[in-house]
Amino acid sequence: MPNEYMTAIHRCRSLCWAISIGLALSTTAERGNAAEGRNGEQIYRADCASCHGARGEGGDEYDRPLVGDRSVAQLTRYIAKSMPKDAAKKCSAEDAHKVAGFIYEAFYSKTARERNKPPRIELSRLTVRQYRQTAADLIGSFQGRERWDEQRGLKGEYFKGRRFQPSERVLDRIDPQIRFDFGADGPDPKKFEADRFSIRWTGSLLAPETGQYEFVVRTEHAARLYVNDNKHPLIDAWVKSGKDTEHRGSIFLLSGRAYPLRLEFSKAKQGVDDSKTNKKKPDVKASIALEWKLPQRAAEVVPQRCVSPISGPVSFVLTTPFPPDDRSIGYERGTSISRAWEQATTDAAIEIADYVTSRLAELSGVPDSAADRPAKLREFCLRFAERAFRRPLNDEQKSLYVEHSFAQGREIETAVKRFILLVLKSPRFLYREVGGPSDAYDTACRLSFALWDSIPDAELLQAASSRRLVTAEQIRRQADRMMRDPRSRAKLREFFLQWLKVDAIPDLAKDATQYPGFDLAAATDLRTSLELFLDDVAWSERSDVRKLFLTDSLYLNGRLARLYGVDLSADSGFQKVTPKSGTRAGILTHPYLMATFAYSASSSPIHRGVFLARNVLGRTLLPPPEAFAPLAPDLHPKMTTRERIDLQTRPQACQTCHGTINPLGFTMENFDAIGRFRDREKDRTIDTTGSYLTKKGTVVRFDGVRALAAFLADSDEVREAFVEQLFHYFVKQPIRAYGSDQADELRRFLVDNGCNVRKLMGEIAVHSALLPSDEKTKNRKPHLEK
Amino acid sequence: MSNRSRREFIRDLGLGGASLPFILNLPSLGFANQERRKQRIVVMFSPNGVVPSAFWPDAEGKLVALKDSLKPLEPLKERTLILHGVCDKVRGDGDNHMRGIGCLLTGIELFPGNIQGGSHTPAGWASGASIDQEIKNHLQANAATHTRFGSLEFGVMVPDRADTWTRMAYSGGNKPIAPIDDPYRMFAKLYGRLKDKENLKSILDDLQEDLRKVRAAVGTEDRRLLDEHAGFVREMEQELKSAKKDEIGHAVPELERGVKAENDNIPRICKMQIDLMVQSFAADFARVATLQITNSVGQARMRWLKINEGHHELSHSPDSDKVAQDKLIRINKWYCEQLAYLAKRLAETPEPGGGGSLLDNTLLVWTNELGKGNSHTLDDIPFVMVGNGLGFKMGRSIRYPKVPHNRLLLSLAHGMGHRLKTFGNPDFCGDGPLSRLS
Repeated sequence: MPNEYMTAIHRCRSLCWAISIGLALSTTAERGNAAEGRNGEQIYRADCASCHGARGEGGDEYDRPLVGDRSVAQLTRYIAKSMPKDAAKKCSAEDAHKVAGFIYEAFYSKTARERNKPPRIELSRLTVRQYRQTAADLIGSFQGRERWDEQRGLKGEYFKGRRFQPSERVLDRIDPQIRFDFGADGPDPKKFEADRFSIRWTGSLLAPETGQYEFVVRTEHAARLYVNDNKHPLIDAWVKSGKDTEHRGSIFLLSGRAYPLRLEFSKAKQGVDDSKTNKKKPDVKASIALEWKLPQRAAEVVPQRCVSPISGPVSFVLTTPFPPDDRSIGYERGTSISRAWEQATTDAAIEIADYVTSRLAELSGVPDSAADRPAKLREFCLRFAERAFRRPLNDEQKSLYVEHSFAQGREIETAVKRFILLVLKSPRFLYREVGGPSDAYDTACRLSFALWDSIPDAELLQAASSRRLVTAEQIRRQADRMMRDPRSRAKLREFFLQWLKVDAIPDLAKDATQYPGFDLAAATDLRTSLELFLDDVAWSERSDVRKLFLTDSLYLNGRLARLYGVDLSADSGFQKVTPKSGTRAGILTHPYLMATFAYSASSSPIHRGVFLARNVLGRTLLPPPEAFAPLAPDLHPKMTTRERIDLQTRPQACQTCHGTINPLGFTMENFDAIGRFRDREKDRTIDTTGSYLTKKGTVVRFDGVRALAAFLADSDEVREAFVEQLFHYFVKQPIRAYGSDQADELRRFLVDNGCNVRKLMGEIAVHSALLPSDEKTKNRKPHLEK
Repeated sequence: MSNRSRREFIRDLGLGGASLPFILNLPSLGFANQERRKQRIVVMFSPNGVVPSAFWPDAEGKLVALKDSLKPLEPLKERTLILHGVCDKVRGDGDNHMRGIGCLLTGIELFPGNIQGGSHTPAGWASGASIDQEIKNHLQANAATHTRFGSLEFGVMVPDRADTWTRMAYSGGNKPIAPIDDPYRMFAKLYGRLKDKENLKSILDDLQEDLRKVRAAVGTEDRRLLDEHAGFVREMEQELKSAKKDEIGHAVPELERGVKAENDNIPRICKMQIDLMVQSFAADFARVATLQITNSVGQARMRWLKINEGHHELSHSPDSDKVAQDKLIRINKWYCEQLAYLAKRLAETPEPGGGGSLLDNTLLVWTNELGKGNSHTLDDIPFVMVGNGLGFKMGRSIRYPKVPHNRLLLSLAHGMGHRLKTFGNPDFCGDGPLSRLS
């Protein structure tokens, strides 16, 4: 291998992390050899293409394409020995190496072939998220949907007895959250006796994300908590025993859904009522709090924004673990399967079948005693299959799925169970769009999977069957309706979190001496602050994506206010405040992200710059060839962060990448490792000047993050990257498969619509729904007027 | 003796290391076969005390005639051992019914709490594990005695509320275990996986057919994915077929369908649970089981015996109420019939892979939260044992001078090969396991 290249690599390794920008398509054989005569491509064109074709596709002399799985070294040996056919061994070892390297990278190898494929809509199975949401909605379609409205808090019913006797109910009210200390008295001394009262809170829990929720009930008295199960408590502390005052229980919940919740509390002795014989009323205190703890976050009182006083039916939540989806190209997709996935679909099918058969009467609406139960259950099964497959069944399918299961004298429960297993293992359930000419049911599915990651609801299926899902206008109307559903909201929020690289909760542990008060509770609050901001931008009237960069306010509560220098009382809830006017710039300075893209004791302009280059500007950066260690601040006690990074990345070899990364990251140097504003570091004024070389070759300069924000908010590069990432997250197919001008068209749509994120989301769903899968032609424009 | 290991035997002889080589050279000690037999223990609970005059044998020694309540054990007399004078001495918070069931298998006080009984102070859960769970953990820790479940907790019409009166087994302090009183749920726990496999096998042909049809409908480039999928389904088929045909040694039992959890179904539910227990032993799913019929203060109305009053209500009747006492005798006789049925089923079922029957290797212990219903005494708690699982000498009645029941719990553990020094409250463990059992 050429020395010059080795030296370059060596330099990168010893000095810093090298990030190369741009698609590194050029081959090792080509690189650095240009000066020594013909490169691999030139040799190929001159001596090989006449037989093998310009792109190795084959020609008249040799019609087999040049594809295979040999390594470059193996190819080199083969070419040197036997090529060209008419003059074997004419090719020198060096040239053979160059040609081998070229064809390997250009079209021979598996990765090259993958890269060269024209983008197309690939057959995809449900992703894990789609499977879980689909299972919940499939079962939910027989249970009734949960209800939401704008009211928040829980409904509290207060009783002056130890249990919930209707005659003893003396007070009803909505409680924003459950954290009460009643002292030695009742909730209202006039209405309650101090030693015996009980309270029942009911409503729904709005799960903000998918995951394991740990609930904590704190009380000195009897309490029971029911979550998504009205019969079996998640936490049963009705028997007070010993000194335990903290009771925990965990449950897995899916985002974007409301789950019925009930908390019962009683201050009194349970068991035998001895109040008549035992008049002694000891002076006992009573308190109760309902908290939750999300993964890697501090326990907090279940916040008002996540509870509603209305309760609906329970939801089915699948707990079978699935292997994670392929995210290698930036978004989860279902274009590959594995043994583990196949096993998980079996386990999940069994879990769902068990759930359905154990509630058969309730879900099917057919009582166990019904005279025509077998016939009615067949009808139920047919409905189940139609919803699972997202379309009506033909006679052949009815026979395969329903009749086969009920035949052979099977016991009826066994027949239903077998039927469910067959349906849920079927490719018609597990895959999207399994062939055949595309129709209105496909359109319905594309819409629902794009917006909800789930199956169409009854109204959408109804529209499909009654031919009310044909024109772009009709489709758009459905999309508008569907976007108001909490599932759309949850999906958009999850998009933002992965775009901002915080979908897996980062560990924000910081240096305790430098950042006292920045603990797990503060990190948890910051996460909330970020999510409130994102929801605020996305669901406000204008839904303007530019606000993500231009907003100079922050959501802070009492605890965060103290940390970020804002005057709020210690027990304040979250509210919008502007810490220091004209300093903040939305996500670019949000403390949660500033802390994420930082070390424990110092900021990291490189992490911030990489985030901007990759995720916001959509530039491709390859990972550094080897891990590196940043220069320790202690070794250069007088240097600012900026100076240290300049020093470390000064060599020319680093600058190809860091020339882009650093000047972006430096503009955020006013924000330390927990995102607090600072204008001095090491007793010097911070230099926040920076620059960016656009794809078109213009150098843009800015001083400070506000100037950077103004540039990004108005940048076509940013919009293009945003459109592409949003499309991929929602549709899970390559955007170019929907036409080479699809991205550009959606970008123009965004500009023409005041940068409205919600409208863009709807437009993406409509575009993806209109493309018929049976016409997989490249460059096809959506039939908007169909 | 036969089930003690060589090391335990030597330790029990009090021999030090010096004499070991000598002892071990004695062929007559008969340790040639170090493989221990399987051992099982079952605790069956019924509530509200007994009628002593119709329960306890008149004298110690060989069992001759059994009193009315114990008549169903007549055919099993040779394999029955009745212990009189074993007392629950644990005091502290809670009324006698609560401590009766809560301390019965734990031998330790209840925590203070908010559950108020008919008398005494309120209490919470027991503050320690129960002996069945202690023995289970011991067996599960050793590969030779490890089973799929370790222990199974059966119930019959246990009220659907968790409180001190409804829980007997504890995995630890403040950790009561809810018995499974629905035979269908117990069935699903024991055989669910096998049923699932049968169902899966039955869909394979239809599924492959389905995959073929879908494959034909998609574009050529997408077929690769479906081919891969079909391959995985074939692998699953191979696995299902290669699984041992008869991994539980018997057919999956058929349960009577549609038996609802209602008072009048107690006899049917009890039989179903006992049948499931016997089969789970035959399949070696567990070596420890409890069968809790109703609960402490249980209110079964035995209308099938023409008794319409609830059991607890009747148990408060004075000794002078002959009609009530007669009913109580019949009620306890009915419980005894359940014990006898369980013993009979075990005696009829051969021990898989060994000589004899399941009952040869199982000890049944029938007990109660009270000695006598109308006095609420915790003295003379009924302990009636059937079967030869623990090497106790059966066919006898023993009268102890008011010994704490913790010592019996220790005996059960020792008999199962778990040589605890104390169990529950150590104050009640003086002198160790009960004498005269083997």
